[in-house]
Amino acid sequence: MTTPLKAQIRERVQQIETMPAIPTIFLPLLKLMSSSVEDVKLDEVVRLVSYDGALAAQCLRMAASPLFGMAQPPKSIKAAVISLGLRRVQTILLTCCLGQAFPTRNWALDPAVFWRHSLGCAMVCRKFSEKLAGDDHEKAYTAGLLHDIGFVVNCLAFPEEFEKVMERAGREEIPLHEAERAVMGFTHCETGHALAEKWNLSEDIQEVIAHHHDHEAERTETMQPLVALVHLSDLLCRMRDLGHGHYERQKVDLIADPAWGVLVKEHRELASMDLVRFTFELDDAVEEIRATVATIFGPARSMARS
Amino acid sequence: MTIAPKLAPAAPFAGKVSEEANPVYRQIRDLIYKVSGIYKAEDKLYLLADGCGRRMKHLGNCALREYWDRLTAAPFRDAELRELLNEITIGETCLFRSQPQLDALRKVILPEIVGEKTKQITKRLRIWSAGCSTGEEPYTLAMNMLEESERLLKGWKVEILATDLNDRSVETAKAGVYGDYALRSTTDYYKRKYFSTLDGKKLEVRPEVKKLITFSRLNLQDDSKMLFMKGMDLIFCCNVLIYFDATSKIKVINHFFTNLNFGGYFFLGTSESLMNLTDKFHLVHFPGSIAYWKPSLSSGKL
Repeated sequence: MTTPLKAQIRERVQQIETMPAIPTIFLPLLKLMSSSVEDVKLDEVVRLVSYDGALAAQCLRMAASPLFGMAQPPKSIKAAVISLGLRRVQTILLTCCLGQAFPTRNWALDPAVFWRHSLGCAMVCRKFSEKLAGDDHEKAYTAGLLHDIGFVVNCLAFPEEFEKVMERAGREEIPLHEAERAVMGFTHCETGHALAEKWNLSEDIQEVIAHHHDHEAERTETMQPLVALVHLSDLLCRMRDLGHGHYERQKVDLIADPAWGVLVKEHRELASMDLVRFTFELDDAVEEIRATVATIFGPARSMARS
Repeated sequence: MTIAPKLAPAAPFAGKVSEEANPVYRQIRDLIYKVSGIYKAEDKLYLLADGCGRRMKHLGNCALREYWDRLTAAPFRDAELRELLNEITIGETCLFRSQPQLDALRKVILPEIVGEKTKQITKRLRIWSAGCSTGEEPYTLAMNMLEESERLLKGWKVEILATDLNDRSVETAKAGVYGDYALRSTTDYYKRKYFSTLDGKKLEVRPEVKKLITFSRLNLQDDSKMLFMKGMDLIFCCNVLIYFDATSKIKVINHFFTNLNFGGYFFLGTSESLMNLTDKFHLVHFPGSIAYWKPSLSSGKL
C-alpha cells in the first residue's frame, strides 16, 4: 500500500474516534483485556460494568446465548465470573460493548448481517481452538469477533466507496475483500488495522485483523497460527449462512488451504478432525446466533437481504 | 484470580433447551451419526424424536429407555437401527430437495468442469444418480442441465444414469409422475416448463427431460457391475450408504472414486457425511452445501 493511502486511511479513522457512541467502559475494557489474567481483579471488572446498567443486563442475557453456553442467564456479573471464569466474562463484555460502539445508521453493510458474521466467526474460532490442545480459547474468540472490524471503518469512514464495493460483490458474487481491492484499492484488513493500532489492541489481534486474507497472496510462511485459525473460521462461516449476506461463487477446500497446513504443523490432532460433523454442528447454532444478534443488536434491516 | 470455567452446554455449539431435550435423543443422534454418518441438527431433532416415537409405538409403546436398549443391544440392534433410519429419512425425497446444492452445481462446479474439459473433442457430461429411488433426483438434475443447455452446456451432450436396487422404484421413476408432496419445492417456472398435467392434480415429466436419463436396476454392492460405471463427472448418492456397514461402505466409496473422472464430484444427502472413512476425496464447501472432490490432474492436489 502506498504511503499517501495509508495516511488517508489513518486520517479517516481519526474521525471515527470522535464519534460519541462508544460506551465509556469500552476502551478501559480493551486495556484490561490486553493485560494478563493474573493481573486483573474481579472487582475491577465488576466496577467497570456497574457504570452501565443496560450493558450489564445485556451481558447477562448474552451469557445464556449459544455463544457462551450457560443454560440460564446468571444473576449478576459476579455470578457469571464464578461459573464462566473471568476471561470469558471479559469476552462477553467486549461482545456487548462492541455492538454499541458504533452508530449503525446508513451502513452499506447490514449491521445485523455484520454482527452475525462476527459473532458466528468468534464462536467458530473458539470451537476450533478447543479442538487444539493448549491454546487460549478466549483469545481465539476475541480474534474472531474483531477480525472484520475494518468493515465498520469502511461503513463509517468510506461510505460511498464501500457502497460500491457491496454492490459489486453482490452483483459478481465475489468475496468482499476482492471487491474492495477492485473498487477501492485497499481492503478492510488495512482500515481495520489502522483502527486496531489506534485502539492499541494486542499485537496478535492486530496481526489477525491485518492478515486474515493473506493466504490468497501466498504469504503463509510467516502466518501466525491464530491468523490461520481465524482465516479458516471466517471461510467456514461464509459457507454456512453466516457470511456477508450475498452469494459467493466459491469452492472452499479448507484442508488444502495453506492456513490448515499452518495449524496442523502446530496441532497434529487437527488431521483427524471430523470437519463435516463440525460443519453440521455449526449449522445447529446459526438460528440461535441470528436470534442473539436480533435481541442484542436489533433486528436485521431486511430479512430478505440476509 | 483464576476460576476454572464450568461449562456443560447440552449440544456442542448450542445451549438452548428444547422439547427434544431428553438427553436420550442426543445419544440416539450420536449413535446414528456413528453408524450411518447422518447428522440430525438441533432443529431437526424433533424428526428424530418423531421417528423414535413411531417405532416405539410399533413396538407396543415401549419407553424411550427401553428403545435405547433395543438400538444398542443384540439381537435387535442392527434391524432396529435400519428401521429407525428408514423412519427418519422418509419424505426426504422430493424434487429440488437442496437448492444450495443446485446453486453450487450451476454456479461453481459446471463452469469449472466445462472449463477443464473445453479442450476435449467430445463435449460430454456424465452424471450418475446412484440410489435414485423414485426418480426425483435425476429429474431435478436433468431439468437443471436443460436450463444450462443454451449457455454453459451449449454443444454438450448430457447423459444421466439413474440406478436403484429396487425394481419397483425404478419403474415408478421411469413413469415420472408426481403429486403435490414430491413437487412441494418445485417452482411454477419449472412446473410449467418441464411438466405436463395428468388427470387433474398430478404432473408428468415431459419427454425431453426423460430423454436425458437412462434408468436401470443396480446393486451398488455388485462389484462386477460397478466396474462398468466408469467416466462419471458427477455422482449423487443420497441416503443410500447409511444402510451399509463400514466395510461395504468403504468398498462402495472406493468404486465411486474410481468411477469418477479426475476433477469430478461426489455428493451425499444434505445431512450425510463420509465420516473420515476415506482420505481419497477432498471435502469441499460451497455456500450451504458440501461435496467430495476427486482432484483434477492439473490441480496438483492429488
